[in-house]
Amino acid sequence: MLLSDTIQTAYKAIIVHRMRSLLTMLGIIIGVGSVILMVSVGRTFENYILDQVETFSNNLIEVYPTGFEKFGRTTDSLTFEDAEAIANLTTVENVAPVIFIREKVQYGTEELSPLIFGSTSVFLGNYGLKLDKGRLIDESDEKSARSVAVIGSEAANTLFGNRDPIGERIRIGSRFYTVVGVLQSLGSALLQDMDTVVTVPFSTARAITGKHQLDYMSMTSKGDDDLALADIQSTLRQRHGIDNPEEDPDKDDFIARSSAQATEIIGQVTLGLTIFLGLIAGISLLVGGIGIMNIMLVAVTERTREIGLRKALGARRKDILLQFLIEAVTLTLIGGVIGIIGGVGFGLLITAVADKLLGSVSFSLSLSALLLSFAMAMTIGLVFGLYPAKKAANLRPIEAIRWDR
Amino acid sequence: MPKNNAPLIQTVKLCKSYFNDELETPVLFDMDLTINEGEFVSIMGPSGSGKSTLMHILGFLDGPTSGKFLFKGEQTMQMNDDELARIRATRVSFVFQAFNLLPRTTVLDNVMLPLLYHPSIPASERRDRSLNAIESVGLTDRADFFTNQLSGGQQQRVAIARSLVTDPDIIFADEPTGNLDSTSGNQVMEVLQKMHTDDNRTIILVTHEHETAMHAERIIHLTDGRIDSDTTNFKRARASKAKSLNK
Repeated sequence: MLLSDTIQTAYKAIIVHRMRSLLTMLGIIIGVGSVILMVSVGRTFENYILDQVETFSNNLIEVYPTGFEKFGRTTDSLTFEDAEAIANLTTVENVAPVIFIREKVQYGTEELSPLIFGSTSVFLGNYGLKLDKGRLIDESDEKSARSVAVIGSEAANTLFGNRDPIGERIRIGSRFYTVVGVLQSLGSALLQDMDTVVTVPFSTARAITGKHQLDYMSMTSKGDDDLALADIQSTLRQRHGIDNPEEDPDKDDFIARSSAQATEIIGQVTLGLTIFLGLIAGISLLVGGIGIMNIMLVAVTERTREIGLRKALGARRKDILLQFLIEAVTLTLIGGVIGIIGGVGFGLLITAVADKLLGSVSFSLSLSALLLSFAMAMTIGLVFGLYPAKKAANLRPIEAIRWDR
Repeated sequence: MPKNNAPLIQTVKLCKSYFNDELETPVLFDMDLTINEGEFVSIMGPSGSGKSTLMHILGFLDGPTSGKFLFKGEQTMQMNDDELARIRATRVSFVFQAFNLLPRTTVLDNVMLPLLYHPSIPASERRDRSLNAIESVGLTDRADFFTNQLSGGQQQRVAIARSLVTDPDIIFADEPTGNLDSTSGNQVMEVLQKMHTDDNRTIILVTHEHETAMHAERIIHLTDGRIDSDTTNFKRARASKAKSLNK
């Protein structure tokens, strides 16, 4: 039998059994598509979240009072004096104590509920926030506890529209502040929109809230995060009278964490998410695979008779096997390609929607998921397409024609 | 080596048993049978007599358990799959009781199917040969129909066209009228009869209907896997002889 005849025969068989062909392909499409979709979407969000963390300068360190994370425990363990002591360490710099002002910001009829940081001049630099226009909060604002504010680009947009905010007065709680600077847009970081922040001098925040304790402090290490963290921990333990040589975090009344550690923790969480999605996708691949097996096994009786007939008409074993190989390869290839297109397409769609909602989400295709799922589908398709055919081709024609099982 | 004067089919002590979990069920016993070119033979017998099994062995659809089976003087017992396939493609063809046509496939494609597996007929001749075969069973106007759009009698005639298309040495017909009403059955038998009388084709027909069997010139009766009787149907033989003398 000529190869061209075999190919034609295989394609005619696919078309004649179009329902079965479609269902087989559907199993492959769903299997391949879902694996690619799930794993790629998982990775896309993993990358997105890691991006959020990495927006911060690499050697950012933040120190929180423990109660910041654990309810029911004191949140007032960090003091301005602690910050001053840490600032004296040789391993850290840019120490910025922070007190939050929990108030609304108003300008005319516009209103905003941003994060209002009361902090020193180095604070913005720690988070990579840069000035767009006007000026930053400086030492003299700090000394005199002036009512001035530097606001994020989005906050400026919301409150002032197209007007120039510099020199305008905004209301925070019951006090008025003069806007002296507007920041460049940074996008979001740590899932927090950094462009809506409002900052005022630390001394001002302390004065109006009457708080002596800090909500947290931020700083950068001078290169070695671990060394800096160790210094911070021993300093604070000494100052707070905590004896904790075994480094049990439960004994401390503070948490010192570098952004690298945060990245790692968040990375683990999102990796868990990816694995979870991959697992679901694996199950759908399995279900798709079982679907393919089912259809092919159901088709065995009919196809065994067809093979018997073809053998009775003079087909050799290899004619039969080649025909079925071409059929199986064609179906799995088409199904696989549609699955890939579908999986990637839906992934892009979800990414596009997420990008609209969250910003700076970009699609990350998982090549290994693509190849693995494709190979799996291909194997299932080939094995369950060829194995019954091989068995049937080895039968005597009359046994195959009379097959009834 | 095949001998020119050797009979088309010769079996010596041919036996066939089916095995089911070591349990042997003998079907054919020591079958000695010779069929020459140009014969029209009916194999008759009650169900279970082994008539279909014998035909499947003679038509290379099944293998014997022991004994000799010579085709044109050539031993067939040791043939491998490819050699058997070649004989099936070129020498023998079948008309089945259940038609065994490809569904949702046109009459033309069904008739053309054996030519795809034929080792020597060129692809360029397939269409003409198939249309000729379809014409000889009177279905030219149905050539582009799907087989499942045809009546049973028409489907069986398509099967006969398919069996003719490779110009085989023998045509085997296994209860060809078994699934048909009597009118369609008669039409099918007329076509088969014509193939024999007009083209001198060798036909081996398995049937349990006396009337159908009487189309043949030679009638072999099987009972319990043995040849019970092997007689000439003089009425047909004479008619056939008269016809050939007229030519």
